[in-house]
Amino acid sequence: MPKPIHLWAFLQGIGHYPSGWRHADATPRDVFSMDYYRKVGAMVERGCFDAIVFGDQLQSRGAGGRTPERLAMPTLDPISLLTAIASVTRHIGLVATVSTTYNTPGALAERFWTMDRITGGRAGWNIVTTAHPDTAPNFGETELPDKSLRYQMAADTLEQVSAMWRDMNAARGDTPQLRPVFVQAGQSNDGRAFAARTAEAIFCPAATIEDGIAFRSDLRRRVAEAGRDPDGVRIMPGLSFILADTQEQAIAKDEALLALADEALCIEYLSESLGFDLTSYDPAGPIPGEAILAGTIMPRADIARALDKPVEQGVPLGLFAARFVRTPRGHHVFRGTPAQMAEMMIAWVEAGACDGFTLQPAYMAGELELFVDQVVPILQQRGSLRTDYPGTTLRDTMGLSRRPAEMVA
Amino acid sequence: MTRPFLLSASLADPALADPAVFAPVLDQAQAAGLDLLLLGRAGAVPFDAQVLAAWAAPRLTRMGVVPVIAPHHSHPFHIARALSAIDYLSGGLLGWSPVGEGACVPQTSDMVLATRALWDGWDADTLVIDKDSGHYLHSHKVRPSHYAGRWYQTRGPVNAMRPLQDHPVLVVDAASPVAVPGIDLVIAGEDQPTPEGARVLRRSTLGDDPAALAAAFAAGRIDGLHVDLTVAQLPHWAERFGVLAQPRATGGTLRQRLGLPFSPIPTAQSTESV
Repeated sequence: MPKPIHLWAFLQGIGHYPSGWRHADATPRDVFSMDYYRKVGAMVERGCFDAIVFGDQLQSRGAGGRTPERLAMPTLDPISLLTAIASVTRHIGLVATVSTTYNTPGALAERFWTMDRITGGRAGWNIVTTAHPDTAPNFGETELPDKSLRYQMAADTLEQVSAMWRDMNAARGDTPQLRPVFVQAGQSNDGRAFAARTAEAIFCPAATIEDGIAFRSDLRRRVAEAGRDPDGVRIMPGLSFILADTQEQAIAKDEALLALADEALCIEYLSESLGFDLTSYDPAGPIPGEAILAGTIMPRADIARALDKPVEQGVPLGLFAARFVRTPRGHHVFRGTPAQMAEMMIAWVEAGACDGFTLQPAYMAGELELFVDQVVPILQQRGSLRTDYPGTTLRDTMGLSRRPAEMVA
Repeated sequence: MTRPFLLSASLADPALADPAVFAPVLDQAQAAGLDLLLLGRAGAVPFDAQVLAAWAAPRLTRMGVVPVIAPHHSHPFHIARALSAIDYLSGGLLGWSPVGEGACVPQTSDMVLATRALWDGWDADTLVIDKDSGHYLHSHKVRPSHYAGRWYQTRGPVNAMRPLQDHPVLVVDAASPVAVPGIDLVIAGEDQPTPEGARVLRRSTLGDDPAALAAAFAAGRIDGLHVDLTVAQLPHWAERFGVLAQPRATGGTLRQRLGLPFSPIPTAQSTESV
C-alpha cells in the first residue's frame, strides 16, 4: 500500500512568485472578488486537497515607510476569506494564520469557535507569534516582544483559549471538531519546541528530500519526547512548481516567469526582506551594507548574515536583488512534467521526508489548475491520493484525532 | 430617485452559528424583502458576528448584512481588515453596528474612529495592476494613519484595501449610542434623540401597524423600521411588514441600493477632536 499523500493549497491570491501577478494567465484583479474564490474552492475540492491555507501579516508592506509599487498586495483577512469560501464549498479544510501576540484570548476563542461551527468543522488555526517589528505600532505598542517571550505568551494564550472553548462547548453545544486543527510553522528551536507540544500539522520549508527527512525525523522525535504520538502530526513542506509537457519547456516557463521580475521589482522585494528601503540606491553600485545594517528594522544579526558574503564579493545591488528573488524562502521549486512531479511527490512521502505537501502555485489560478488536471489523476491512479473525502471535518480529512486530548475532560 | 422605505431587523439566536439554520434564514430574510439584517444586538451577541457576516457574504443577493461589534471583541486593526474583506467578498453589501457592551460611549466611538482612520489610509484609486509596466499600485496613495485615541492607537497603514463602499454602512442603535460623525442609519424609538444627518429606522414590534409606519414615512418623520426578532418570528415579520417591501435595484453596493451616498469625513486623529 502506498503511503497517503496529503495536499494543502497555500494561496496568497497572486501565487508564490513575486512576479507571478504579471503572468499572462494570472488574474490579480480577481483576488478581491468572491467569484474567484468560488472557482478556486471548486478546483481544490476537485483535486481532493485537505485544506486551503492563507498566510498573514499584521503590517502593510513598506520598508522605510515607502509602500512598494511593484509587489502585489494587500491580502484579505484570512478568517473572513476562508469562512466565505466555506459557504460555497463542502469539504475543503480552511486553515487561517492568526497571531497569538496581537489577539486577546477572548477574541481568539470566539472567532474560532464560531468559525468551526459555521464551517461544519473545517477550521484550522496556523498559530503564529508575529515576527515583524512594524506590527507593534499598529497595536499601540512600541516594541515587539522578543521571540522566547512571544512563544511563552503563545503557550499561555493557547491554554486560556482551550479552557474557554471547553466552557463554550459546554454552554452552547460542541463545535464539530471541538476546536480547530492546530497548525504551526516556526523553524527556530523555540518554534519546533512549541510545535512538538501543540501542532497537529506543520508547514515548513524543505528544499531537498534530505532536508525533509532531517526535519521530519527531528520533529517526530520531539513530538514523542513531548509525550504525543508522532503519527498524529502531519509534516507538510512547501512546494512551488512549474509544470509543462517537457522538462525543457518547464525550465523555459520558469525563466520567463522570473524575467517578469524586473530590476525595480527585485529591489523592492529585497527591501521588504531586509527591512530597509533600497529604491534610491544605484542598482549597478555596491550593496550599501553599512547603511542597511544601520537602518534596518529587522534583527541586525540576521541581516548581517545574509549580507556578509555578497558584500565581501562585491556583488552589485541589482544582481544581488535578482538572485534573492530566485531563491525565496527556502522552499522546493519543482520544474518538470506532471508525471515527474507525481513521481517526486510519491518518492518524498515514501522516503519519510513528509506526509504531504503545501502547494504554492507560481501564479494563480492557472498553475494550480494544471496540477489538479494533470498531476492529481496520476497520484490517484497510483493509489497515493484518495478519490473522495472520508468524512465531513478537517480532522476526518487529515486522519487526525477526532477528540483532541485537552478538550475532553 | 424616490426615497426608499428601509426595512431592518436583528437576529441574535445562538443557533445562527449553525449553517443548517443560518442558510435558510438568509434566504427567508431576503425573500421577505429585508434591506438590512443585523447579526446580534446590544446585550446579545452569542457568536462572532464578523465571522457569520463573512459566511453570509457569498449568499447575499439584495440584503445588507450588519455584524454587531463591541470594543472587547477585537482591535480596530483587525476590525478594519475583516470588514474590508467582507465588503469586497459580498460585493459591497456590508454594514457594521458598533455597540458598547459595557464599554463607555467614548471608547466605542474611539473604536469607530480608529477603524475609519485605517481605511482612510488607502485612497480608492490606489491600485493600478498593470501587468505590462509592472506597476501594481500608487505608492503615494497609501499613508500611515497615526491614529492616537485615548483607548486605541494605531499607526498603519493597514494591510487591507479601502472597502468597496469606502466605508461600510454605519448603523447605530440609539440605545447604545456612539458619538461620531457620519452615522448612516440610527435605530430609534419615538422619543429618542437621533444624530444629525442619519436616516431614522423606527424601533418597532411585530404588533405595530404597517399603515401607521407608512404614514410616518410619508410625513418624513422616519425612513424605515427596525424590529428585533428571533429566527422563529421571521415568517411573522414577513406576514406583517412584507407589504412595505419595495423592489430594489439588483446591482450596485448597499449604499447605492439604499440611496446612502458616502460622504468623506475629515479624518479624526483622536476622540478628543470630536
